[in-house]
Amino acid sequence: MDPERLASVLSAWIAPALVATAVIVGAAVGLGPALLVLAGSVLVGVVALLWTSLGRLTGDASLTIEEALGFAAPSPEEERKQSIVRALKDLEYERSVGKISDQDYHQLSARYRAEAKALLKSIDEANAPRWEQAEALLAERLKREGLASASAPSVRGRPAASKPPPAARTACAACATENDEDARFCKRCGASMGPSEGTP
Amino acid sequence: MWDSLPGFGTSVLYAVLVAAAYTFAVAVAAGRGHPRLLESARRGAYATAGLVALGVLVLAYAFVTHDFRIRYVTRYSDRSMPTGYLIAALWGGQDGSLLWWSFLLSIYTTACVFWLKGKYRILQPYVIATLMVIMGFFAILMLFAANPFESNLAGAKLDGEGLNPLLQNYWMAIHPPSLYTGFVGCSVPFSFAIAALVTGRLDNEWTVAVRKWMLFAWLFLSIGNALGMAWAYEELGWGGYWAWDPVENAACLPWFGATAYVHSTMIQERRNMLKVWNVVLIAVTFLLTIFGTFLTRAGLISSVHAFAQSDIGIFFVWFMGFVAAFTIALIVWRLPQLRSRGQIEAVLSREAAFVVNNWLLLGIATFILLATIFPRISEWLWHETVTVGPPFFNRWMAPLGLGLLFLMGVGPLFGWRKTSGVSLKKAFAFPSTVAGAVLALHVTVGNRLGFPAFVQQDAFYPGLAGAILQKLGSAAPALTVLLVAFNFAVVAQEFFRGVAARRTRHSEEGVLVALGRVVDKSRRRYGGYIVHVGIGLMFLGFAGRAWEVEHEVSLSPGDQHEIAGYTITYRGPRMEVDPAKRMIFADVDVERGGRALGRLTPARFIYTKAGQPTTEVSMMRGLHDDLYLVVGMIDPQSKRATLRLHVNPLVSWVWIGVFVLIGGASISLWPEVKLREVGVWGYLRATAGAATSIMLAILLATSSARAATPIAKSPPPPPSAHAEVALPPIHAAPFGALGAGLVLGAVSFRRRDRKQPARHPS
Repeated sequence: MDPERLASVLSAWIAPALVATAVIVGAAVGLGPALLVLAGSVLVGVVALLWTSLGRLTGDASLTIEEALGFAAPSPEEERKQSIVRALKDLEYERSVGKISDQDYHQLSARYRAEAKALLKSIDEANAPRWEQAEALLAERLKREGLASASAPSVRGRPAASKPPPAARTACAACATENDEDARFCKRCGASMGPSEGTP
Repeated sequence: MWDSLPGFGTSVLYAVLVAAAYTFAVAVAAGRGHPRLLESARRGAYATAGLVALGVLVLAYAFVTHDFRIRYVTRYSDRSMPTGYLIAALWGGQDGSLLWWSFLLSIYTTACVFWLKGKYRILQPYVIATLMVIMGFFAILMLFAANPFESNLAGAKLDGEGLNPLLQNYWMAIHPPSLYTGFVGCSVPFSFAIAALVTGRLDNEWTVAVRKWMLFAWLFLSIGNALGMAWAYEELGWGGYWAWDPVENAACLPWFGATAYVHSTMIQERRNMLKVWNVVLIAVTFLLTIFGTFLTRAGLISSVHAFAQSDIGIFFVWFMGFVAAFTIALIVWRLPQLRSRGQIEAVLSREAAFVVNNWLLLGIATFILLATIFPRISEWLWHETVTVGPPFFNRWMAPLGLGLLFLMGVGPLFGWRKTSGVSLKKAFAFPSTVAGAVLALHVTVGNRLGFPAFVQQDAFYPGLAGAILQKLGSAAPALTVLLVAFNFAVVAQEFFRGVAARRTRHSEEGVLVALGRVVDKSRRRYGGYIVHVGIGLMFLGFAGRAWEVEHEVSLSPGDQHEIAGYTITYRGPRMEVDPAKRMIFADVDVERGGRALGRLTPARFIYTKAGQPTTEVSMMRGLHDDLYLVVGMIDPQSKRATLRLHVNPLVSWVWIGVFVLIGGASISLWPEVKLREVGVWGYLRATAGAATSIMLAILLATSSARAATPIAKSPPPPPSAHAEVALPPIHAAPFGALGAGLVLGAVSFRRRDRKQPARHPS
């Protein structure tokens, strides 16, 4: 067991044990000694933390995949997409409670949808070189591992070239809302839209 | 044994400073291209927090063991104090309260760093670095200006001076910690704002991260201010709960900033607008919390909270100057990225309403700020000290408050982006009708109930402005009732529309189920509406001030006096003694309409340590009004007592409003996702509000009993008229129901969370 892991397991047990000791001392001897026990434990904990902190300063552990992913930031386009999706959701809500007229709703909704489409397109375009790069890296890796074959899986899970026919829509079984063909959950009621491909 | 305890305490403070500096350096390095160091910085932050906790434990030990070598312990405790107050003395004085502030900051730091694990990796180093700068500032402050571990120059004393008797009550034991929880809580959003500015990641990422932290801080600012009001009402004995004391003002200033932010952040989330404004609001709120601490501690303005005049003021001035300059520089540097891409599309939109509300809130904060420091401003400008008193504030705040109430009512009626005339008419119809009907009712029957709609006021200033203020002031009760009714109707209509919309889609759901689902689906929205109801109720309570009655009478034993329907009979004085003080009670029996209500025992406590006697209020609370008794003097020979009687209408509604507000904020704070996604902290944060609400409800419900019978030893009042029996149920019922509702709500939310399918399958 590596020292880091050992330390975390020990600290998980030691901290409650010390607090319990302090409570017992408090009940048996008095509040003063209990405070001392707590103070002593905190001091030991501080020393341990500073020790490991300094240890990390010199160590050279590589980043885990989660850590690396944590650096990813949404692009400004992504952010705008988010706020447009948010706006569409607000619009739906406001129409359902009668805060805006149907005419305004259709007008604004059409405008936001058009904006969202343009954004999605530009996001896809911006990402295209990176997808290619990723595909190239994957192919290289597969080749190195000796797994390369004619039907190599692409990064996106489907051959990039064959796009599905556009504008195919299916209705949700629960609320009859029209959803995109590849939707796995209904955009209105959240009900599952057919086989969920093994994800929760 | 502990020969060097004071010295050890001081060295712990040095260690805090060193650890904070180390963590700051490592965190900045982590942010500047050495991501591996982040874990190191995280541990450094934990260690710094641990050191502050160590300092608090050492000071607590010194208090518990009566270590009178330490000056702070000598000044704020003595051997006769119960353990509870010994612990409360930790934040009872200036030096200790700074340590307490750092301690709360260290708790926030720990919670925030723990919560940040694996999240916001770009922002995180700078969040930690900013928190460490704030921590370092307080360490420097304690080390060089207000060291709680400073020893007495003349050596250890035999006994301490004791905690100020005014501070020896349960409100005082809980008011500073909760207010500080709110104050210090603003540091976390500020750190995120700085991190966003430094890294240039200024889109919605940081506002989403900050959302609940700010709401939590806001909640505790509200609770802390409410507790301060309760303390002033019960302990200071001047008949009211808010006197526009500089420190009260300082405590409420950040609340306005935080309130403005929780509204304007919604615009940024939806419209990508007001980015500069939001950063500025957070910085201003944080600066106001530091300014509040400065005002309380530095003795700039004399106040009832008069902590000793000291030289720590200059440290605060430098720190505030540094923070302001650094933030402004960052904003200017990032201005190109902060330019908003959206714009307000129509005047009749929620964005526009929010912007106006923001300006009004900040306007009120600026007004209070300027009026509070006016003595210093006038001294500087005209070389004479001009103090502005409560009447000035009350006059001016009435129209400002009514404006706020109006905006609070109309805001929810607008839709985002734009609202057409037709739907606006539809939205306004019901609330306006209700408000009109309530106003008509108030004008016709208000007089009979003792709440006339118009209360004549004197002109405060000559000229037109004075006349307008006078008219507004006279009509304030009617306007408040009108606007509160409007607000309630708006909220009711919003809930109704939400439920109706849901039931057209899910016709199988009952009204209550649909209501639960609707609230559950957008907690922030409906929690916010409930907060609006709470604020409306508080405004109703504030309006009660217009109808208050105050009599000052001198009575001999057996004398009777009538006030606002109550008949009080003075029975005579009674003295009791305990080791710390002599207590002189005036026993007063209260009747109303021939029915005995119980006995009130206002008192003067004369502490052996503190020279000045304290006034102990005795009151009967009610939903209609509070009967509030204060005894001035009792002549030992003739037994004649000078009594001040107040009948304060509707004050209870202020407290009820606070509970509703806490309930609403707790709903908004409740995590929207499952436990395993938000972690324990999200739930802890949400539960804190609900738990505090329930605790306060119990305290307040039982306090009327305590106020009516301050000590157990007092002779039992007539059994048929026992205030203890008569009063608590009135309060316990709504508060109990609220508490039970919160718990039930909490349980049901959790259940539903588990059942729901993941909304984002990716």
